Amino acid sequence: MKLRYQPIRESITGYLFILPQFLLFLLFAVYPILEGIRLSLFRVDYQNETFVGMSNYTTLFQDPVFFKSIVNTVIFVVFIVLLTVIFSLFVASSIFDKNAKYVSFIRGSYYIPVMVSMVVMSMVWSFLLNPANGLISYFTSQVGSGHVNLLGNKATVMPVIIFVTFATNVGQAIILYIAAMIGVPKDLFEAAEVDGASRIKVIFKILIPLVKPTTIYITIINIIAVLKIFVVIQLLTGGGPNNASVTMMYYLYNNAFKYNQIGVASAVGVIMFIITLLLSVPQLRAMFKDK
Amino acid sequence: MFKKRFLAMFTASVMMLALLAACGGKDSGTSGGSDKNAANGKDNVEISLWLTPQWKGVYDASEENADYDSFFKAAAEKFAEQYDKYNVKVNVQVIAGDQRDELLNVNLNGGTPPDIFFESVFAMGDFAHRGALVPLNDIIDEESRKDIAQSYWDNVTFGDNIYFYPFSHNPGTLAYNADMFKAAGLENMIGGENEIKTWTLSEYEQILETLKNNLPQDKYPGARPMALFGLNNQGDTWNLAYLRMFGNKFFDDEGNIVLDDANGVRAAEWLKKIYTGGYSNPGAESVSSNDANAMFQNQKLAISFTNAVLFNNAKADMESGKAPKFDIRLANIPSESGDPLSFTYVVGSNVFNTGDEKRTEAAKAFVKFYSTDPELVKASKNSIPVRSSVADELKDQYPLFAAYDANSKYLFNFTGNVPGYSQLRQILYPELQAIFIGEKEPAQAVKDYQTQGNAVIQKAKESSSVYK
Repeated sequence: MKLRYQPIRESITGYLFILPQFLLFLLFAVYPILEGIRLSLFRVDYQNETFVGMSNYTTLFQDPVFFKSIVNTVIFVVFIVLLTVIFSLFVASSIFDKNAKYVSFIRGSYYIPVMVSMVVMSMVWSFLLNPANGLISYFTSQVGSGHVNLLGNKATVMPVIIFVTFATNVGQAIILYIAAMIGVPKDLFEAAEVDGASRIKVIFKILIPLVKPTTIYITIINIIAVLKIFVVIQLLTGGGPNNASVTMMYYLYNNAFKYNQIGVASAVGVIMFIITLLLSVPQLRAMFKDK
Repeated sequence: MFKKRFLAMFTASVMMLALLAACGGKDSGTSGGSDKNAANGKDNVEISLWLTPQWKGVYDASEENADYDSFFKAAAEKFAEQYDKYNVKVNVQVIAGDQRDELLNVNLNGGTPPDIFFESVFAMGDFAHRGALVPLNDIIDEESRKDIAQSYWDNVTFGDNIYFYPFSHNPGTLAYNADMFKAAGLENMIGGENEIKTWTLSEYEQILETLKNNLPQDKYPGARPMALFGLNNQGDTWNLAYLRMFGNKFFDDEGNIVLDDANGVRAAEWLKKIYTGGYSNPGAESVSSNDANAMFQNQKLAISFTNAVLFNNAKADMESGKAPKFDIRLANIPSESGDPLSFTYVVGSNVFNTGDEKRTEAAKAFVKFYSTDPELVKASKNSIPVRSSVADELKDQYPLFAAYDANSKYLFNFTGNVPGYSQLRQILYPELQAIFIGEKEPAQAVKDYQTQGNAVIQKAKESSSVYK
């Protein structure tokens, strides 16, 4: 009898310690997800909720703007994540074994935009890019090439937002990579040096394989972050021109807070949740398998 | 060992209890509440009033520390002195116009709407349709009914009930920089200082052409003839007015959009011509009405949109040295028929249904107080008074009142009083952007707007509590 309860008694302290966090997790993560799924099946107005089954989902799939938002979100995820991983690998592998002060300087320079609020960054870019009274447009008109409107042009609006987001986020990835690379055992580099391997070979054969867990982590974190890309869209383009830069999160926001279509917005949220799960699960499995 | 484990369990239990206590703590609430522990025997009631920026100061922007909330703070003080039922504390909050819908929707869905909102009625009508507002019929006395013209009452009536207490109205017109006109040799097109100048459409096009070609670039570098914007829904009423320029009625008698005819398409084509011809600021698809207003105040645009409050604010900015001084005057939006396109925003207060009887009662009493107090209603001079008595009393000091009054026969109802107007506003600007960037032909954009707009109106009609 005593033996049967022993394991439970032994671990009860641990469970008690994680209980507060677990309660918060239930309250602020699990409950909203379940509530979101429930609301996506209702039409909600100020006075009542009416069950409408899958009608909100059919409304979504009949809306070309929603498909546009999915395509745009996928484009953002692919390009921003790729750019972030490639560029931060490049920077980190170039400097990780240099003088400590120099490494700190580079790390700090790239990290400053991460510390600045995305709202502030967007406002600075907005000032630069405004077609009528922005700095870039002013310079181009001064040199005689007329006003440019990078945010009002369907061909340039996406690359501009990709660049702005990438420039703001890349510092985080650089710091993680440098930390991982500094942790790579020195004797591997010494062995490579004895074998006469070039720096390129060292990077591709030693560094990149050994920081794979960091790569997976950065990829997952960035995918989830970019899926929720919103502030920069809200402040720079408002989803324009003519919905050319609308993303799923912005579409959700519009439905929830501008049109007051809570049911439709919840349906978008559910779809985003499923997409995030599908994208993250294989990566997480790879990460745990390695361990 | 046992001691250690006991200590650990004890610590964990304490943390749990602390957490539960924190979760269970009653939110005192910032939006309002009531309690009974007042010294003078009256209950304390706290209500909140939100407004979008209107005029600065209690009565005038020249007052010291004049701000957008000055009037309501002064009104709340005066109200508290004479109201004998409760001790009322009013929390006044100014919110940006482009944040209004988001803030209200979040707070409504969270069960924490403000008690009172002071705003242009057209932007708030949807909340009446959604059943979020309290009817105000019982606080409107006979005297006010007579003092305020019927057209304003019609504007604030949804179904059988009045949901807004009219305070002032805010006619929309164009503003132009008479100094720039003179510099371009357009003296003959300038109206009087207290006149709202009416140009024919061909005169207006001639003005744009002359400004484009003859404006001295050394004096006004990079300046353009007129403002055009379509970044978001702010200032969309002027875009709606431009779409009526060639005689399109916009709504039929059933409240459906009928923009898609020859005249509607011509208007959309005219907008495109103005933009691509270089008669407006560049990048209209990415420029907001605020940007356009700033450009006009910095003399980068010769003609821009304005309303009575913006016009007074612009003058106040010039007086205080915040903006460069120039000769600013008013003009009507021209139309092909020659009759000006004139519209006005009725501005007033509504009371949200918070479910708290005391707060609702205090909120209604406060709305009635500042909407009828003989002194406080004079603040409506910052736009245009809806009360005939106030307009008569002040007309000698404010000669523009008469000019606005003369315009009233050309007023068009830009919302058509249709349900779903807030969402309808979200559909227009993407179509305008499509026209500006050449993605759609004007005819196609007009057709798409009408299709989507009528779907929104239909859907809103079905769920409107006013139509039930």
